[in-house]
Amino acid sequence: MENGTKLWVSSSPHIRSDLTTQKIMLNVLIALVPAFLVSVYVFGISALLITIICVATCVLTEYVFEYLRKKPITISDLSACVTGVLIAFNLPVKAPWWLCIIGSVFAIAIVKQLFGGIGHNFLNPALAGRAFLLASWPTRMTGINYIPVDVTTEATPLGIVKEGLDIALPSNMQMFLGFPGVYGAIGEISALALLIGGIYLIARGIISWRIPTFYLATVLVMALFFGEDPIFQLCAGGLMLGAFFMATDYVSSPTTPVGQIIFAVGCGLLTMIIRKFGGYPEGVSYSILLMNCAAPLIQKYTMPKVYGISSQKEEVAE
Amino acid sequence: MNFKYLTNGIIKENPTFRLLLGMCPTMAVTTAALNGLGMGLSTMFVLIGSNVTISALRKVIPDSIRIPAFIVVIASFVTIVGMVLKAYIPVLDQALGLYIPLIVVNCIILGRAEAFAFDHSVGNSLMDGIGMGLGFTLSLTVLGSIREIFGVGSLFGIQLFGDAYEPVTLMILPPGGFIVLGLGIGIINWITVKLEKRKEEKSKAVSTEEVNA
Amino acid sequence: MKEKVNIDWGVVLKYGAILFIITVICTLLLAVTNKVTAPVIAQQNEEKNKQAQQEVLPEAKEFESIDDLEQIKSKVKEDSDIIQSIDEAKDGDKVIGYTVKTTPNGYGGEIELLTGINTEGEITGISVLEQGETAGLGARSTESEFQAQYKGLSAKEPVVVEKNGEVSGNEIAAISGATITSNAITKGVNTSSEAVDAIEEDK
Repeated sequence: MENGTKLWVSSSPHIRSDLTTQKIMLNVLIALVPAFLVSVYVFGISALLITIICVATCVLTEYVFEYLRKKPITISDLSACVTGVLIAFNLPVKAPWWLCIIGSVFAIAIVKQLFGGIGHNFLNPALAGRAFLLASWPTRMTGINYIPVDVTTEATPLGIVKEGLDIALPSNMQMFLGFPGVYGAIGEISALALLIGGIYLIARGIISWRIPTFYLATVLVMALFFGEDPIFQLCAGGLMLGAFFMATDYVSSPTTPVGQIIFAVGCGLLTMIIRKFGGYPEGVSYSILLMNCAAPLIQKYTMPKVYGISSQKEEVAE
Repeated sequence: MNFKYLTNGIIKENPTFRLLLGMCPTMAVTTAALNGLGMGLSTMFVLIGSNVTISALRKVIPDSIRIPAFIVVIASFVTIVGMVLKAYIPVLDQALGLYIPLIVVNCIILGRAEAFAFDHSVGNSLMDGIGMGLGFTLSLTVLGSIREIFGVGSLFGIQLFGDAYEPVTLMILPPGGFIVLGLGIGIINWITVKLEKRKEEKSKAVSTEEVNA
Repeated sequence: MKEKVNIDWGVVLKYGAILFIITVICTLLLAVTNKVTAPVIAQQNEEKNKQAQQEVLPEAKEFESIDDLEQIKSKVKEDSDIIQSIDEAKDGDKVIGYTVKTTPNGYGGEIELLTGINTEGEITGISVLEQGETAGLGARSTESEFQAQYKGLSAKEPVVVEKNGEVSGNEIAAISGATITSNAITKGVNTSSEAVDAIEEDK
């Protein structure tokens, strides 16, 4: 061979993308900005503080855990930041600082790191953190805690529906925008803001379009079936936040197309059933967590057939 | 009487954290330190009684009908414990409730009867019963204490913190029990692995010394 | 082909005898223990009941169970099946009130509740005898702060559970996070009120 061009041969993969975890997480953070802006506009400085405390605690917890366990430090992949923001968005405006810290530590140290760190969490850490906080301090995580101090409303929209209170509900346009007069967890009130972020992520190829679409579609169909106002149900509570940002967590949801559809439909069904018949006004957190548990099974049964491999029976018959 | 059997049940073969036996009462009863202690001691009494009785009768009970014989003996001891608690320590009976009769099916008791008492002398069976019983009592009391301190803010009923402390209610609910137990098993495993590694290195050092000597 | 099973009757009888002897000895032990503990247990139950009755109706000197429990129960419109017993509370010869034991269904099973109502139609107090509710939530129904709410309320109209803090009239504030427990106890109290109503009507 002359000293012409040398040809390199390497093993797979042969197609590379420059999409790193950090880039993915950065996009998610960008997508959450509109909701963050609405949050600060409606809830004021508390929203900002809660978000800062949660993010800082998540990052610090991940650093300390990985340092003590002598594992590589992964905080620069921004996944802890995203978890922090999502935890914050699930909290009420009156959440005390220690609640934010304990929830964040639990989400990162126990739900994520103890099970193997990024890529190994079987539950969505932010939602599991929220469930932990709700079970531990129910009086701090329900009802009136979601209403800012100087406001006269007494309950969140879903709360009003569940308790059958004699209070006027915000109009559908107000629910869609997120203000005025709409209250809930600090990141979940504006369907519009979250929708913008969600569409951005789908357009950038960061999240699957199937999960949010089928989740929301199932809720719409169920709402009509139950005789509820579908627009209200879509905009109320943590549905938008959950459908675009929580249910789409790569690790705790199926990767197969059919699997994702089943997962999303399951989430939708459970959400509406809990909202309509359950003891809680909102069902998004628990429905996603339950489907997280079912995800490995769904994944297993929706694996596509590999070309060239036939089942044992056929081989024996020949 | 071999005292090794006594210490075995406390750490190395601790029924809760190493053998993972008796998980059902462990989860249910460790919502408070006193309950854990009470259940542990009640189970220990039954365990000692059944171990000793079964060991004493091991030559008399034919092998093929040993299980029904074990059950009758164990159930009798448990019933006695139940009646005594109801009569003399009603507060504990109220707290432990349904889990007292359930001591009968606590795997530790049937397990030790089958795996140990049926094949060992009365003295050794007594040691094993005390050891396993103490280990179980220790683990339950520790678990109960942790869950009570965090979940209620007291220890053995004595309030530890002021009114400002808002307890982690999850700790006295089932998920809290599983989480604390899981972390406990992890810690004990970590300690045991470290101890074993140290023993290995020590014996390696000794053997290289001997070679070099 | 079915194999013929040979039963060695000698072995069967011998093993049977051994099991029988073990069982007899155990039974003897249990019978002895029972003889010693049963009276103690019975006495404790009585004392617990009496103490609770005295707590809910402090002015009474003695308690006597009523004769026509089933008849009274049939007069109660709803949930009469949760009424376990009704006692007259007397001071000398005068009946000054009643204690009703009910077992409404809480979150973790039945709650054994004692309600005291005087002849003026006032609830004099409640006592939770047994409950299996969640610690830190429904189990707080045994706290005096919760139970004191019922004192002085009227037994002539139903007590209402108020979840959002502010109470007025015949209302009590639910234990936060334990609505089901609070509702159950209130149901027990209301059923007791209805029973007492039925008794007083007859007079």
